Amino acid sequence: MNRVKTAKLILWLFTGFAAAVALNRYIFGLGVTTNLTDRTPWGLWIGFDVMGGVALAAGGFVITAIFYIMKRDEFHPLVKPAVLTAFLGYLAVIFGLFVDLGLPWNIWHMIIYWNPHSPLFEVGWCVMLYTTVLLIEFSPVPMEKFSRYAKIRNFLMKFRFPFVLLGIMLSTLHQSSLGTLFLIMPFKLYPLWYSNILPIQFFISAISLGLMMVAFESLISHWLYKRKPETNLVAKLCKVTAWILLLYFIVKITDIIATGKFGLIFNGSWESNLFIIEVLISTVIPGLLFSFPRLCRNIKIQWTGSIMVVFGMLLNRIDVGGLVMLGATGDNYTPAWTEIVISLGIVSAAALIFLFVIENFNVWEIQPKDAESLPYAPPSFDFTTKTWLGTPEISGTAKHSLAFILSFAIGMFLMPGKHLHNQGIDNIKVKPATGIDTLYINGNRDDQFVKFPHQAHIKWIRTHGILINGNDSCKTCHHLNLPGEKLSQCWECHTNMYAQVDFFQHDWHASTKGANLKCDNCHKAGVNRSAQSAKKCTDCHPTYKFEAIKGGSSKKYYALSYTDAMHNLCVSCHLAESKKLKDKPKLALCSTCHKTHLQNYLTTGLNWNITVPHFNNVIIPNLNSKERVNVEQSDKNK
Amino acid sequence: MSVGILTDVTKCIGCLQCVSACKEAHDLPLDVPRIWQKNDGLSADNWTSILQKPDNHYVRKQCRHCVEPACVSVCPVGAMHKTKLGPVVYDSGKCLGCRYCMMACPFGIPRYDWDKTVPHVEKCILCYDRLEAGKQPACTEACPTGATIFGDRKKLLNIAHKRIKENPGKYINKVWGEHEIGGTSVMYLSDIDLGFLSYQTHLGTKPLPERTKPAMESVPFAFVGMGGVMLGLNWIIRRRMELSKKNGKEEETADE
Repeated sequence: MNRVKTAKLILWLFTGFAAAVALNRYIFGLGVTTNLTDRTPWGLWIGFDVMGGVALAAGGFVITAIFYIMKRDEFHPLVKPAVLTAFLGYLAVIFGLFVDLGLPWNIWHMIIYWNPHSPLFEVGWCVMLYTTVLLIEFSPVPMEKFSRYAKIRNFLMKFRFPFVLLGIMLSTLHQSSLGTLFLIMPFKLYPLWYSNILPIQFFISAISLGLMMVAFESLISHWLYKRKPETNLVAKLCKVTAWILLLYFIVKITDIIATGKFGLIFNGSWESNLFIIEVLISTVIPGLLFSFPRLCRNIKIQWTGSIMVVFGMLLNRIDVGGLVMLGATGDNYTPAWTEIVISLGIVSAAALIFLFVIENFNVWEIQPKDAESLPYAPPSFDFTTKTWLGTPEISGTAKHSLAFILSFAIGMFLMPGKHLHNQGIDNIKVKPATGIDTLYINGNRDDQFVKFPHQAHIKWIRTHGILINGNDSCKTCHHLNLPGEKLSQCWECHTNMYAQVDFFQHDWHASTKGANLKCDNCHKAGVNRSAQSAKKCTDCHPTYKFEAIKGGSSKKYYALSYTDAMHNLCVSCHLAESKKLKDKPKLALCSTCHKTHLQNYLTTGLNWNITVPHFNNVIIPNLNSKERVNVEQSDKNK
Repeated sequence: MSVGILTDVTKCIGCLQCVSACKEAHDLPLDVPRIWQKNDGLSADNWTSILQKPDNHYVRKQCRHCVEPACVSVCPVGAMHKTKLGPVVYDSGKCLGCRYCMMACPFGIPRYDWDKTVPHVEKCILCYDRLEAGKQPACTEACPTGATIFGDRKKLLNIAHKRIKENPGKYINKVWGEHEIGGTSVMYLSDIDLGFLSYQTHLGTKPLPERTKPAMESVPFAFVGMGGVMLGLNWIIRRRMELSKKNGKEEETADE
């Protein structure tokens, strides 16, 4: 296997994986597929994909400035790859945004609804325009191959200089405006990173990162295709970078000293350590390495230096983009694996397009050939000479498709289904109610309990004859009981406070500690094992009556959440009765059952521990507005 | 006229009537605790909440409706809007879901429908619809003790200062929201420090949009300036190259 082939295989794997995760993100929403919270609404996708992506793509404007504006002709071999990288980088940013935005289909709103005060508005416009400019700058390269585009190509070539100039101007704006984005968060961003000249710092660091990204991309692509590296050119880039890093360092440190934050660097907090590491990796070490002309020409130093700058500056963007806000917000955000997979997948897809373009168009002066891209495998046996030529290779395309599909399947398999269906609801086990004649229902133990006069309800049901299930008044509420029981309590099936649960408990039935059944006891041998083909519950438990559950069937095993179950049961009856009874108009209102903290405390005489922090939720039944109006009207009538 | 709410922490008994009224007024669904919610009680389905603090102190948390709101200044499409009356309202039709408003808010108020596939930003809108109909917000109407009152912002400030004067020693001599980050429409009187309502205890009096203003104002100059610098640089370099070429030719001719 050669390097290109391996690299492409890995890239296709990542792309497939990310595609599966992205699909799930669109189906289930952001909440369950990321670790973002209300306190950390921007995560890895903004820090790495958007902020980092834009900065990485800065190579495009820096190299065009050096070549077209400063007329340094020796950099010609780097121009096309740099513009291509920049274009793909911006495409990746836009793709990243499409995943991260809550309503990505509204992204065009920026064109018609203007808010010029917003830095993000300016960044959005610049990214849109600059991506177009990059497309125009790069399009002559693929057009070269097709003679019918010759006229358009000539036209574009004539106006190359103004477009390059426009590109540089636009880049200046949005590279610095990405820093302006964070000027409005002085209370969240750790003081070492917050600075009034953040836009200037961002612009300077983007130049150094752009230069080093071009160097890194030249090194890695020449290594992949086993060509002679462009050592001299990269050495020149390294020399320039050393000066820019020096400038960046001076600006950054002067600002920190001038604003009196110098002491913070060495105060030992994790932020200060992170700051030291970031500055060392991104600026100090590579800057020192590149300050020696002899070291600049050493290919190993080129590799280390460029990787350090790229990694360090990316770390800077991730830090500012949210990491160093965690101290102020008190959140403990770590990117979910899904976020990491999507970030990797977008980069991989961009890299694949890059490889495709350099293999098919004249980006480099000598176009590389990928033997693996041939659709047909060479023969394994030469009949004329009767020699064995080795095992036939599977063609590249087939392998890559297989890699994509396989990793897509793995991605789909790994998405945590149960978690997704719970929609981020924590698993809160219901605690049984306490009391005998009067029950205190306090399922999640937050002391916002409901006083339920059990005896009074029994008495009332018997006298008023609301008998849902024949003559047995208990079954009005105890609608389904566990085997061998007559009066199962609510919490025994509705075990979860807020999420729907499976009350059938397949694992319990199969386990030796539970019912100890074999598969064949319920699933017929030779038939595909599924809930549909299995025995009915009532075959073993003839007393079960599933009709008692609304729309229930013996094949439907889901129990509502405890809160939903209680509300459905109580409110439906209370609503009906409130219409009938003239002396009890408020029977169906929330406050009938849900007393306030204070009222509970005063009316029960129980010594409830009132220092328990308030629970977040005031419980209101899911009445629709129509029902509510009815209740209000019945209030007025009476 | 700009309206506001004054909440007197010493009068609040933590009965949650305001929370309940808010739910009913905005038809908010049952709140279910989710992993992305934080313990201040606010969520996409809970626009106001009561924080319990030591010694029976109850502090109501809600959107502060800043006089110069950060969320309004950062929204790239202007989905957040400060009305003339005072409330900061949200237009879900414009929103593209970038969540910059959530990042910019110093009080951490806007919440997101993380569980939905078509998510929106959710926050207190000071019952703007009710205000327009000539009613007061649901929460202040529901308050049984008068701990949270609605009115003209200036009048509320007068009331607050009067209360501080008339009850020496009862309150901390500060109206939270009077000057902080340029003032807020929702203000607090308290006998405990309310620094926990924002990300940092001391916010200063400078409005947050002012911080991005200098950078945003210099954008056109940076744009034109960069173009000018690049053109100038290009002209100088080309001129130099021409000159050196000429010189080279002259030297060549001189050699001959």
